[in-house]
Amino acid sequence: MQGKGLLAGMRITLNRLFGKKITVHYPEEKIPMSPRFRGGELDLAHNKCIACGLCAMACPNQVIELTTRTDEHKKRHLTSYIYHSGRCLYCNYCIEVCPTDAICWDKNYENSRYFRHQLDVDCLAISRGKSPNAVVGTNPDDTDKEEGTT
Amino acid sequence: MGPQHPSTHGVLQVVLELDGERVVKAIPQMGYLHRGIEKLAESRTYTQFIPYTDRLDYVSSMGNNLGYCQTIEKLMAISVPERAEYLRVIMTELNRIASHLIFMSSVAIDLGATTGMMFGFRDRERILDLFDMACGARLTYSYIRFGGVREDVPAEFIEATRQFLADFPAMLTEHHTLLSGNEILHHRLKGSGIISGQRAVETGLTGPTLRASGVDYDIRKIEPYGIYDRFSFCVPLGTVGDNWDRYMVRMEEMQQSADIIAQALDQLPPGPVMTKIPKVLKPLPGDVYHRIENPRGELGYYVVSDGSTKPYRIHVRRPSFINLQALNEICQGSLIADVVAILATLDPLMGEVDC
Amino acid sequence: MQEVTGLFMVATMLRNILGKYLPNPQWVDIVITLINIGAIFTVISLSAVILVYAERKVSAYMQMRIGPNRVGPWGILQTVADMIKLMSKEDIMPVGADRWLWILAPVLLFIPSAAVYVVFPFDNQAIFADLNIGIFYFIAVSSQATLPFLMAGWASNSKYALIGGMRTVAQMLSYEIPLVFSILGVVMIVGSMRMSDIVAAQQQVWFIVVQPLAFIIFLIAATAETNRAPFDLVESESELVAGPFTEYSGMRWALFFLAEYANLFAASAIAVTLFLGGWNGPWLPGWLWFLLKTALMIFVFMWLRWTFPRPRVDQLMAFGWKILLPLSLVNVVLTGIGIYTVKYFS
Repeated sequence: MQGKGLLAGMRITLNRLFGKKITVHYPEEKIPMSPRFRGGELDLAHNKCIACGLCAMACPNQVIELTTRTDEHKKRHLTSYIYHSGRCLYCNYCIEVCPTDAICWDKNYENSRYFRHQLDVDCLAISRGKSPNAVVGTNPDDTDKEEGTT
Repeated sequence: MGPQHPSTHGVLQVVLELDGERVVKAIPQMGYLHRGIEKLAESRTYTQFIPYTDRLDYVSSMGNNLGYCQTIEKLMAISVPERAEYLRVIMTELNRIASHLIFMSSVAIDLGATTGMMFGFRDRERILDLFDMACGARLTYSYIRFGGVREDVPAEFIEATRQFLADFPAMLTEHHTLLSGNEILHHRLKGSGIISGQRAVETGLTGPTLRASGVDYDIRKIEPYGIYDRFSFCVPLGTVGDNWDRYMVRMEEMQQSADIIAQALDQLPPGPVMTKIPKVLKPLPGDVYHRIENPRGELGYYVVSDGSTKPYRIHVRRPSFINLQALNEICQGSLIADVVAILATLDPLMGEVDC
Repeated sequence: MQEVTGLFMVATMLRNILGKYLPNPQWVDIVITLINIGAIFTVISLSAVILVYAERKVSAYMQMRIGPNRVGPWGILQTVADMIKLMSKEDIMPVGADRWLWILAPVLLFIPSAAVYVVFPFDNQAIFADLNIGIFYFIAVSSQATLPFLMAGWASNSKYALIGGMRTVAQMLSYEIPLVFSILGVVMIVGSMRMSDIVAAQQQVWFIVVQPLAFIIFLIAATAETNRAPFDLVESESELVAGPFTEYSGMRWALFFLAEYANLFAASAIAVTLFLGGWNGPWLPGWLWFLLKTALMIFVFMWLRWTFPRPRVDQLMAFGWKILLPLSLVNVVLTGIGIYTVKYFS
């Protein structure tokens, strides 16, 4: 019959009409992201950071701006760490190259801003706000002994 | 027509010269999405360029990554472990299915069947979830690196891929019933937008567009890269070279990709997924060209190295760019509605056309 | 003598009540007429508003989504929100547009779509105007909807609009003829063009059983007349942005939109009247049957829209002239033979 393909197509849409719907009612329901999800902003644990600058060098787009100072024991400390999230490609190079696992994704993708300058995140200040007692540049293995909580 | 037009696959302007409703000339005007990626390559190190290759043909990022990484591996004679090769094949073929699903959805919506588009995107979500599980990103992965893949896939990935492959035939059947079986689609696509095999070769078309005109040219068979010579799969060919053949060739390729993935999953060996390569790559001066079969055609990378950490020049042979040149010839004498169908079946992606 | 049921009962009750308060029977007539006009307008507006929502829901359910569900419970206030938004939009007239044609086009499109509602038999003796050329009036008035498309297309001074306008005229003229011939079969059987006669003749057997070919032809031709997919080349979104409507914004565009949905309801109502038995049906009141059957027809139209791609212009015209028209003529011949045979043997 000439129109058989048409009728078969109509049968499919009719079946779908009565079938299950796949809509996710965002923002009440959210699809869980995988553990490896790359998104949100960089979460810096400043006690683990040794201020090597490898993350800034590995980044293709000059997204990470950090400044360091050297103290009297020739040890480097982090003095500022700005993450320009507007330029970020989410390629993961900074996290992969960090020798102490000091940065990771905070996986919070609901971070839209009204103004462009708010896209520049001061990760050091946020990290200090979370754990004010941690000492910058501490050996990561000693972290637990140093302060008890991370 | 365009660049603000609901169906020009990105920002493309086609200047149509019409005689009533017949097309006399159709000149594509590109460049609206030009981002200077090839120029940017000159100021990035080899490793830093990988995320940029993602963004060329952004619906088949794994393929772009693979092409670039294999080019540099060819330049520096880096070998890749077995497990990484198999993972690369699995990822690239999954990406081929995802890209062809987008093709099918855009054909559906350009011809008016909105429901067909929704179903295509729904099935593609399964693949994007698989990619999310493996590397954390849904569209631009930079998963394939020099010397292998970035990290091994989690255990649930294998299970989920097998589940996807089990569900895939039912999905394909639904798409075939809704779209390919539809007589209106037959009338729209058959007999329009014809290009002969000889003209296709002369114009430089590659990929499914070329195979639809009857030319048996698939780089995976002719010059197998990676481990493609270990898999048995067919290369679907068209006969006439019209829109319908281009559409059916891609639909068949999806099935073939699913077969390849099943074979790769069965043969997947354990082992490392990355060879040890120096952190900073400094190839010897020289140049190399390597090509792979991307869902849209032959993707080639030409890398010129001058011995430093940054390439001297990278040129990307972008299949959509070259396929789009044939638009004028294919559109001769067709109606406006056919121009839309031809654009849909040529399947250009403006990120790749403009680079 | 027909029983006094349904809407007619309501009308007679109203007449009795008004007759007590108003001095003159003519006054009662005038007031009843005004109430009827108000009712018709309510039906038109409500149908347009409800259909917009129904279309979105039906299309969503077919695509495995949910559709509007935020504005009001189950999203039923979505159309209200859309109307408010459209009314607040800036009214942009393109440069070089032919001013009066451009302004009049949406209005002139809405008028025929609304004017056909006067011949719908909502219930036993509940027709606003039971003309003895009822169905002919429908055909004549709905054909007027062709010209405003051309006006809009021409006056917009835009290439997409012009192509859309020309396509519309071609399409609507071509599909008028099979539409009329499919209706002709029904009129031949009934022997009269009056709507109430047509419905009364279906008390035993609906005409879809007697004239299945005419029903299918009417379905296809009506889809083409109301510019719905798969024949929506007029406004084929992926080729011509929006056809003749491209340059309209705000309330003018809303008028086009409402006219399209009013047309859809009109086409479904005519299909119900001619082929599905009008308001006939057991147990439930007549107007409820009418509404249910119309809703079913509207669902069929929407089902067609969301399943099929659209054919090309020349394929559309070829289909209309080379396939539908001969089929409808065959239907007329067969109906004639059938009527003659029945008369000969009885």
